[in-house]
Amino acid sequence: MNRPIRPKTSSIPKPSALTKPFWDAAKEKKLVIQYDPDSRCYQWWPRALSVKTGKMNLEWREVSGNGNLYSYTVTHVPALGFEDKVPYLVGLVELDEGVRIISNLSGITEDNAKIGMPLRVTWEKLTDDINLFSFAPRNAE
Amino acid sequence: MKDNFLRSKDIAIIAYGETKLERRSGKSPYELASQVAAELLGKTQLSPKDIDGFGTNATMSDCTNPFYSNFCADYLGLSPRWLQTSDLGGCSATGNVARASAAIMAGLCETVMLISADAPSTQMRPFYGGYRSEFFEPTGIQGPPGAFGLLMHRYMARHELKFEALGKLAVAQREGAVLNPNAYEKNRVPITVNDYLTARMVSSPLRLLDSVMYCDGSNGLIVTSTSRARKLGAKKMVHPIAYAEITNFDAANMTPDITETGFSVVGPEALQKAGMSPKDICMFHPYDDFLIAEMLQLEQIGFCARGEGSRFLLETDVSYRGTLPINTGGGQISAGQPGLAGGGLNLVEGVRQMFGEAGERQVKNTGNAIVTGIGVIPYGRNWGSSSVLILEA
Repeated sequence: MNRPIRPKTSSIPKPSALTKPFWDAAKEKKLVIQYDPDSRCYQWWPRALSVKTGKMNLEWREVSGNGNLYSYTVTHVPALGFEDKVPYLVGLVELDEGVRIISNLSGITEDNAKIGMPLRVTWEKLTDDINLFSFAPRNAE
Repeated sequence: MKDNFLRSKDIAIIAYGETKLERRSGKSPYELASQVAAELLGKTQLSPKDIDGFGTNATMSDCTNPFYSNFCADYLGLSPRWLQTSDLGGCSATGNVARASAAIMAGLCETVMLISADAPSTQMRPFYGGYRSEFFEPTGIQGPPGAFGLLMHRYMARHELKFEALGKLAVAQREGAVLNPNAYEKNRVPITVNDYLTARMVSSPLRLLDSVMYCDGSNGLIVTSTSRARKLGAKKMVHPIAYAEITNFDAANMTPDITETGFSVVGPEALQKAGMSPKDICMFHPYDDFLIAEMLQLEQIGFCARGEGSRFLLETDVSYRGTLPINTGGGQISAGQPGLAGGGLNLVEGVRQMFGEAGERQVKNTGNAIVTGIGVIPYGRNWGSSSVLILEA
């Protein structure tokens, strides 16, 4: 046996009823995040209940799309399906609204990546229905 | 202080078993578990009908089977009255010692076989629900190395990280693997600090020799009441004397410090339960998916202060000869990671050392050991589960 048998995977997101508002907004290049009006906190990633209160009282709100780079890594051994992109950067981006989002980074290389650098959301068209978020240096726009 | 149900040493580990680690063995976890079961039964002179409790780990290789522990019992010819699959990843093995101890003390069973087995280099079947397929995988983040690359860069933004300190740990563990006949054979050659510093980059700043490699393998223990251990005439035994575990540390915090882990809670708690301080610890067998995880554990369990991990490693002999031996059999990083059975690798090494059966790599002081577990890579946090088990002679 040469290679372990792996399940087929796809890097194209498949929205559910719960996450559809996020991907619908993404199609319009708007970043929306769940907001808990009881605790007055945003939370990321999409869930059916608030992790602060345990209540199922959440709404989607459009956010600024601004944040900063909390940390990053330069990927040299790629995830499945990303073989043609190496080396590529993945970041943990802290949005101004107080949540962190894992994202690929555009317009940033290992040489100019800096923890704390200001970033802004951009969108990459994966299919006719799916725009995927990415983050780029804020001064680039 | 929280109550410690293990304080009175009512529970004993009376045998350990382990397979050699192989790549692409072509074996199922059932076959690998069988080899360990036969070793455990042979060493204790027990028969399958004497085993009334069985615990194991959820696997990478057969995790699509929703009745896994039941299938194991059937395969091994057991009729357990207490049966458990733990899906705590690298915390499953230490977690199962605590769960089995509680089950024995509650009277659910008396003689427990705990086996960790997995064969991810032969077969990988996981599918992750939740956020993974929509919000994690599409970003291209390379699973555990990606998460630990993020963690290392953040640590470096806050503290001084000396790569030669991690290199020294890598070299010490490799020396253990060279002396460990069960280690993956291709890893049984010495390395130098320079080999570590110049290894291929995987997910910067994390390099190949920071990381584990998947193997196939199995390991396990027999756990029973101390009174039954004496009746059975067990010649050697060690006692689990304290255990603490936490999952999803700092759960509701959307912007946690990703370098701060559950060990900051369960490390001090387990030591307090055992009535010990880090200075009392004879040897340390930390879960080692990545070298930086061991450094964070040293800091957060309390062997040194936050940010002092590099200095501590450079000043301390962590080889089997040293003042604080760490992962003397090579750990997962040098001996190989048998998938989600990996949490048992360092546990079995701790028991083997305390039994005085570690051969050329035997440590001198075998009075106690700390064994830890780390389980599951979460979304943008440090890691999912942290466990600390303290064993005493």
